[in-house]
Amino acid sequence: MSHLSLPALELRGVRKSFGPVNALSHVDFAAYPGEVHAIVGDNGAGKSTMIKIVTGIHRGDGGTILVDGDAMDLRHDASQSQDRGIAVVYQDLALVECLDISTNMALGNLPYRWGVFLDRKRMDAEAAAALKDLNARVGDVRTPVGLLSGGQRQVVAIARAVRMNKPIILLDEPTAALGVQESAYVGRTLDRLRADGKAVICVSHGLEFVFEHSDRITVLRLGRTVGTRTTADVSRDEIIAMITGAAAADTLQEAS
Amino acid sequence: MNTAVTADRAVEVEQPVAARTSILRTILLRQETWLLAVVVLIAVIASIRNPNFMNPDNLVEILRGSVIYFIMGCGAALLVIGGGLDFSVGAIFTLSALVGTSLISQGVPIVVGILAALAVGALAGVVNHLIVTYWHVPPIIATLGTFFMALGLSALITGGNDVVPLPAEFMKLGQGSVAFIPNVIWYGLIVGALSYFVLEKTRFGVNVRAVGGNRQAAIGNGLRVVRIDLVLYIVAGVTAAIAGMIYSARVGAGQVEAGGSSVTLVVVTGVLIGGVSLLGGLGSITGVAVGAVLLSVIDNALIVAQIPPQYNNVVVGAILVGAVAVDHLRRKQLYKPR
Repeated sequence: MSHLSLPALELRGVRKSFGPVNALSHVDFAAYPGEVHAIVGDNGAGKSTMIKIVTGIHRGDGGTILVDGDAMDLRHDASQSQDRGIAVVYQDLALVECLDISTNMALGNLPYRWGVFLDRKRMDAEAAAALKDLNARVGDVRTPVGLLSGGQRQVVAIARAVRMNKPIILLDEPTAALGVQESAYVGRTLDRLRADGKAVICVSHGLEFVFEHSDRITVLRLGRTVGTRTTADVSRDEIIAMITGAAAADTLQEAS
Repeated sequence: MNTAVTADRAVEVEQPVAARTSILRTILLRQETWLLAVVVLIAVIASIRNPNFMNPDNLVEILRGSVIYFIMGCGAALLVIGGGLDFSVGAIFTLSALVGTSLISQGVPIVVGILAALAVGALAGVVNHLIVTYWHVPPIIATLGTFFMALGLSALITGGNDVVPLPAEFMKLGQGSVAFIPNVIWYGLIVGALSYFVLEKTRFGVNVRAVGGNRQAAIGNGLRVVRIDLVLYIVAGVTAAIAGMIYSARVGAGQVEAGGSSVTLVVVTGVLIGGVSLLGGLGSITGVAVGAVLLSVIDNALIVAQIPPQYNNVVVGAILVGAVAVDHLRRKQLYKPR
């Protein structure tokens, strides 16, 4: 993979504290179009916080977030991050249980006619087409999400992000609580997004999944980036050593 | 129906639980079904005790009695579906009606007086929203506080006296009829149709359900939840003001004693009986309509059947508890744990 192009998403020295707790002290990484970039780390390493800062749920305290080389205001909100071309699949899925599949897939961007009317037909058709396109079998698009299993919800959440057709897709633990077949399905979906030239950033606990589907791996530990490795050139033991702190960080980066 | 959609549905392999839901079960799960059954039951008992109950004049009277609660219930239902709650509506009803009728009785054009009343309702909604959103006071406490403030203001501006007399043209708005249907019922139909349309057919309505159903998800999906909250509190306040002005026109006075806690409680009760979930997300305007009619039927039936009025509260309380218990069952049917 050549990195001649600009990173689609780059974080430089991003930090965040919640009161006295330093959640992130210095996070860097760069994800390029056409790559699956895995973010790994132990519990509390700051993976989910990092995602929430990028998507605007939390506000970063400092550092820089670049989208296609342009800095993004750290105080952006979720709709602004969508506008900048970022789609996200949250760990807690961010689906509304009492709404049906097609409404959930269009939420935040509901199709309409004549300014105010909800375009129910188009919503259903788009949802069905998006699910079919991803080979997803979750049933009637009018089924309330509250009735779906965890795996089906994950499929809907991913289809939602894919349907938005943004150049950058963030996934927070997409395979947590999924069975073998469902995890394989998610993996195939990531492969396809890479083939479509998307920058796919995938936070994951599952090293097996990460080694099978990622191009590069960035390791976070205690709120810092330990380093980034090319998946093909690194051993599982080395990544584990980076996660646990047995291996030293690449450089000693002080939080600015 | 779009043919592409139909084709896609045909290739489903996994059958989700919902697909097995029978039509009968869907009907039985709807709150309206049960409410209508209760309405019919009460009507049958009442007409056995007094055949005059089914007299068309009495039936119109029942509808007329439900309109005030229904109009306020529409605003309150949208708010509760969006995850909020407003206990101040009864006092907003009083305050805005007194402001409106005072202005009208002093010779201000009727339209201006009505608009002033609606502005008071909207302003009260803004105040509620500010307290809930920026001071982080839970809605039930915030609106209980504004309830007392609005009632106190009502007493202050009128000195405790009803506003009379009101011009005949204003009273005609609440007492006349068009096409044999009383104006008051027309108002209910208009507000109801508008609320139904907003909740079921617009993007705003879907966003309201999303905010009430899962606030975190709504935020994560980029919905402007604070703005949606603001609109909902304003709508709740404005519908209370509309109801207050209709009531004043109907009785021909701006009454200091009208509204207040009893109206708040009946509106919230009607909304909950109508199947709107206090947990947000679920509920319908048709449910609120049936709930309002049910409350009015109970009121009327007990009088017509000459049952002591004390029984009214017992019956309403029992139905309320039953309705919320049914809501819990419904949620269990709708959601399975992940």
